Amino acid sequence: MIGRTAPSRRAILAAVAIAPLAAAACTTTPPPAPAPDELEEMLRAARADAALATAVGAQETAAARTEHAQRLKAEVDRATPKVPGETTSAQPEPTPTTPANPTREALVTALQTAQKQAADLAIKVPTHRAGLVASVSAGCASLVEALV
Amino acid sequence: MNVDALQDALAAEHAAVWTYGLVSAFIDQQAAAVAEGANAHRARRDTTERQLRDAGAQPKPPAPAYLPPTPVNNATTAIAALITVENDACAAWRGVLERTDDTNLRKSALDALTNSAVRATRWRKAAGTTPTAIPLPGTAVG
Repeated sequence: MIGRTAPSRRAILAAVAIAPLAAAACTTTPPPAPAPDELEEMLRAARADAALATAVGAQETAAARTEHAQRLKAEVDRATPKVPGETTSAQPEPTPTTPANPTREALVTALQTAQKQAADLAIKVPTHRAGLVASVSAGCASLVEALV
Repeated sequence: MNVDALQDALAAEHAAVWTYGLVSAFIDQQAAAVAEGANAHRARRDTTERQLRDAGAQPKPPAPAYLPPTPVNNATTAIAALITVENDACAAWRGVLERTDDTNLRKSALDALTNSAVRATRWRKAAGTTPTAIPLPGTAVG
């Protein structure tokens, strides 16, 4: 017999040396979830407005706000770090609930709020996002002009 | 801040001022709207020239004349020319927004972009163009 049955002195020393490290690795909490993207609010507003516009029968507004939502979602997805083994497509698209009594006035108010929301962000976001955010803001102002 | 982007915006404002002057003879119905647009672009042009001088740049002068996409000879073609210059201004101001971290310049550029987009919508409404509002003003494909 050439093979040894008892662990070698070197193996025991090595095991003792890494034991605290292994224990530490097992007890550390997973890294906190990344902060929500600053465009998430705009994305939610765009989806809600699209649903409201559809309920009111303002097809043009619904189409425009849907396009805003798509562009914003694409930018949020691009910037969100991918976690291995996690598929983003598994999460269903949230369907915003429409208010019980949808009116054109409510839609105009929502669009004005969205314009302001995007305008506040447009002066703060990094340059590569400023164009999109500013265009959404100007787009909401245009939609208000088209409705009134 | 990016001087080239701001010079482009100034060029768009020069073209808008010139075009509003050109069309005024053809649009009797919305004379007030034409005057308002002309004043807004003149004010924006002056502001932009000042911003360029503040940045140590020499504002570019206007061209002697501008060529509308289609010859202007009636109210319809006049409004089409206005829609074009407003859209051009939107694109130029979006270009400024994408190239500066200066908060005041961003505010000013956003204001110019928004006002041009709203005027473009007003003219598209007058012309009966659909969709009335461009979803993302200043975007190349919009």
